[in-house]
Amino acid sequence: MGAPFDITYVLSYLPKLLSTLGMTLLIVGGSLLVGIVVGFLIALPRLYRIPVLNTLARVYVSFFRGTPILIQLFLFYYGLPEILKLAHLDISKAPVLMFVIITYGLHTGAFMSETIRASVTAVDRGQVEAAYAVGMTGYQAFTRIVLPQAMAIAVPVFSNLVIALLKDTSLAFTLGVMEMTGKAQTLGSLTQHFIEAYISLALIYLVVSLTLEKLLLLAERRLLQHEQTDGPERRSRFRLERKGSYRSMVASVDSGKGGADL
Amino acid sequence: MKLDISFIGTAFIQLLSAIPTTLVITFVSVTAGFIIGLIVALLRIFKVPVLGQIASGYVTFIRGTPMLTHLLLIYFGLPVLLDALSEQFGWGFKSSSIPMIGFAFISFSITAGAYMSEVIRSGLLAVNRGQLEAAYSVGMTTPQALRRVVFPQALAVSLPNLSNSVIGMLHGSTLVFTVSVVDINAKAQIVASTNWKFFEAYLAAAVIFWGLTLIIERITAVIEKRINLYNRGGVA
Repeated sequence: MGAPFDITYVLSYLPKLLSTLGMTLLIVGGSLLVGIVVGFLIALPRLYRIPVLNTLARVYVSFFRGTPILIQLFLFYYGLPEILKLAHLDISKAPVLMFVIITYGLHTGAFMSETIRASVTAVDRGQVEAAYAVGMTGYQAFTRIVLPQAMAIAVPVFSNLVIALLKDTSLAFTLGVMEMTGKAQTLGSLTQHFIEAYISLALIYLVVSLTLEKLLLLAERRLLQHEQTDGPERRSRFRLERKGSYRSMVASVDSGKGGADL
Repeated sequence: MKLDISFIGTAFIQLLSAIPTTLVITFVSVTAGFIIGLIVALLRIFKVPVLGQIASGYVTFIRGTPMLTHLLLIYFGLPVLLDALSEQFGWGFKSSSIPMIGFAFISFSITAGAYMSEVIRSGLLAVNRGQLEAAYSVGMTTPQALRRVVFPQALAVSLPNLSNSVIGMLHGSTLVFTVSVVDINAKAQIVASTNWKFFEAYLAAAVIFWGLTLIIERITAVIEKRINLYNRGGVA
């Protein structure tokens, strides 16, 4: 199985893999954009309990959370052109990257909608009532009072989602997109130094996800400035008690990967 | 190429034969992962000098890299390591005698271990510190207090997260096709390419995964109800 292990290859692969980091980040960024829009569209009917749309949204979320992303990738890659062909639209010539971003976007959208829904419900009901009491309309109360608070609650979950998405992009190579994992496999099979290629791949992923985590933690601190009693500062420290409203709120926002919940 | 609705049923029946493989991989990785996770979580909570730091490093590395790279690293790296060791000590052991699925078991257990350790750790931390102190005050030793007082409560707290981990591993097991183990996903690829009906085959696979996930959720809900019985409060 391949040539003998040689540590120098790990270093020489790093710049080669970094050249495809852009593709990986493009997939992450594109799907996040699609995901946020889809997430909002899916979360709103469920929050306001709009009759038919509510059920549709539930099925959507359940499907995307209940099936593996790999299956979804194949399903959309092969299925979308056929379904659109029924509507006399030919997209079989569209770039693969588009299918990848659409699939990841729809997948992230399902998780995103759960995050949005959970954090909006976590905002105290009294806040909305207070907003109504001073004469705000429903829209005003949502955008000015509920959303800023919900966003602060959602950030920790959101950052988990982003990092999970980054790691999920390693599957895009199955459709032939040349992102980092695909590049590592090509490098490995060209030189027969598989282990070295995968070690440097793992290193890059590690550095990128740690950087993302740090950046999102900074954002969390900024957004939570108004939460002084039990902010992230104290939350990150080792504590055994389970007190503080903020903590219980974050704990109740459970939208980790997995789960179908129909 | 026309959409062949009836083929979805045919593919569905053919895919049923691959369900046990997927379930075995999930079960083994979750069970082994739980044991690894428990050890890692305890090492980190009790801040054991060197081992605690190693455990933290392990969790950071695994959680910072995709599951696919773990699988590929184990698949390509472990045989080289084992063969070198075997030659050194004359074990007369060849890595080629390890079945493909063995690599999946090892790699996914390592992955699950890191994620499980975080679930277990947060569960343990959610138990009130006073519970441990109360256990000490009635003369329990630390292992007794953990086993009889802390663990049952922690389990109840972390059950939803545990079920998410199980589902995550079920979905992650689709990666084994890269090391040519035939699970539901790989079987779908075979069925799809022999009949040239990709969409239908993957749709059947998606339905199976969806069903499995819903079943896991239902089972968890039942267990959660039972395990939280003591939490009802009141006298009766």
